[in-house]
Amino acid sequence: MDKFIDRCCEKCSHAKDNPCKDFISCCVEGPICHKNEICTGKRKAIIEKVALNEQFTIC
Amino acid sequence: MHEKHLMICGATGCLSSGSHLVEQALVEELEKKGIRDKYRLVMGGCPGFCEVGPIIVIYPDEVFYCRLKPKDMAELVEKHLVDGEIVERLLYKGPDVDMPARFYDTIPFYAKQKFNVLRNSGIIDPESIDEYIMRGGYRAFTRALELEPAAICEEVKQAGLRGRGGAGFSTGLKWEFTNKAPGDKKYVVCNADEGDPGAFMDRSILEGDPHAILEGMLICGRAIGANEGYIYCRAEYPLAIKRLKLAIENAEAYGLLGENILGYGFNFKINIKEGAGAFVCGEETALLASIEGKRGMPRPRPPFPAQSGLFGKPTTINNVETLANIPLIVKEGGAADFARVGTEGSKGTKVFALAGKIRNTGLCEVPMGITIKEIIYDVGGGIKGGREFKAVQAGGPSGGCIPGELIDLPIDYDSLNQAGAIMGSGGLVVMDERTCMVDLARYFLSFTQKESCGKCTPCREGTKRMLEILNRISEGLGIAKDLDTLDSLAESIKDSSLCGLGQTCPNPVLSTIRYFRKEYEEHIDEKFCRAGVCKELFNYRIDEENCTGCTACVKACPTDAIRGEKKEPHEIIQELCTRCGSCLEKCRQECIMITPVGSEADVSN
Repeated sequence: MDKFIDRCCEKCSHAKDNPCKDFISCCVEGPICHKNEICTGKRKAIIEKVALNEQFTIC
Repeated sequence: MHEKHLMICGATGCLSSGSHLVEQALVEELEKKGIRDKYRLVMGGCPGFCEVGPIIVIYPDEVFYCRLKPKDMAELVEKHLVDGEIVERLLYKGPDVDMPARFYDTIPFYAKQKFNVLRNSGIIDPESIDEYIMRGGYRAFTRALELEPAAICEEVKQAGLRGRGGAGFSTGLKWEFTNKAPGDKKYVVCNADEGDPGAFMDRSILEGDPHAILEGMLICGRAIGANEGYIYCRAEYPLAIKRLKLAIENAEAYGLLGENILGYGFNFKINIKEGAGAFVCGEETALLASIEGKRGMPRPRPPFPAQSGLFGKPTTINNVETLANIPLIVKEGGAADFARVGTEGSKGTKVFALAGKIRNTGLCEVPMGITIKEIIYDVGGGIKGGREFKAVQAGGPSGGCIPGELIDLPIDYDSLNQAGAIMGSGGLVVMDERTCMVDLARYFLSFTQKESCGKCTPCREGTKRMLEILNRISEGLGIAKDLDTLDSLAESIKDSSLCGLGQTCPNPVLSTIRYFRKEYEEHIDEKFCRAGVCKELFNYRIDEENCTGCTACVKACPTDAIRGEKKEPHEIIQELCTRCGSCLEKCRQECIMITPVGSEADVSN
């Protein structure tokens, strides 16, 4: 998962032709539809690559 | 994980002072040392302080390096990145700081600013949708999808947002009109046709945070019931257009533009229309005509665009800065937060482009209600060369001139209108004692005269006649009744012109006559331009008592019009002098006087 649009696992279904209402909050706070530490870590890794400081992410 | 983030200003201002060469040198230096992968380099948006560009901000240290040259990169890499020491000589230094300053907390330029619209500029990579999302992007839009359209209009009304592009009409009310207009096809149009001389607020927002504009348009579309939008952006903004196109492409890939967005059944697409640079196309009906492929000319209103706009359909037109405020307002609790800043009638912040004789040229975002004095002296650092502040032109060619005696005027829509100016899009051109107000009025009027589309007679012919009079006055051919004629022509043009351009173009003339009448009278009656600008109306003379004969003026004079022995007082040969002002700039003893033609009296300031 290099970008938020990439699926964290097979449980994530968001795509242009199959949109998920929670997609935006899921990018930073997700996964929302399932619980999985690895999936959370994948999102965190994307954020950590670019976050300039602790206040960078706004939920 | 990167050890540090190197945010290089990649906006047009810094690019033109060579930030791309700085970036290139930085990359070469990092590669030479084999440490390129440890650092993240981003050509980001504008941090505003254009005067001291090119700029690099290093995070998480938050160190602000400025006035950079490619040759500085070896030291910056070696000292800061390898040894962990701050390179003091590359920090901000100026008369407003006691010691070299690091970042926002110690640089006076930033002390009174509040970043709403520029919240992401210089903080994120403008080409990354992920970074916009991390900064809270598209949350307001997701919330808007849950709200009823009328409720969104109501929130924008409650926030008190007024259009940032010109007249300051209530944005929420404008949306409500389009929302209530009958029709199954409606449009959102983003007016990015920024045409005022010296203004670059919109360009900077588009270059630094393009997704904020897309999100503002999406929310507007949801509120008014539109499924298509246009961004009308001048073709002279290639970087802004490039980033907008990429932002649209990314938003489409993420399912944030297109069909059934986020599964709410809402469809929206955004098109970009590049404008050819005509000033009149910033006027909303001319802009719509241009998008439709017609000649960019205004039409009479009513019907207003909210009833019959693009292709005859109900349309909301908002400018870039207005739309950039929308996500902040529509997010949870945003309307109340927004309304807490500003004055009773003017809420939020305003982005201004500081230009002219000011020390800190650049962009600033300040709360509405801040005084002119605070902007010029606290943010702008005062007047270049320590000269006297004379006036500020607010609102571009459609705005007016505010004199030094109104320096404590709070900046909001109403106070500016009362002073004879307008907020406009936010250009502030600052003038010192060496600015001639007749020449200033002539400059702005010649701009609007050239840009007049010619459709209506008052604007087409009236501005020509006014310009002829101003030309005569500045050539020493003014006559006593000229000021009354200018006044009467200006009032007629304001009353009878078809569009906002014509209705406001006499403002610079009217406001300079109102506040600087004596200067006009001096031009007409005494044939004297005290500021030393109108070349027919003054001479330079050397004050023999103070001249030390240093020869600096002799060396500077391009026409060999200055004679005199070294260490002896010099003299200007009037027949050879072209009044270019080179001697005035070079004389350290300040003994070059501006005198009326044929007089030797020192009447200069």
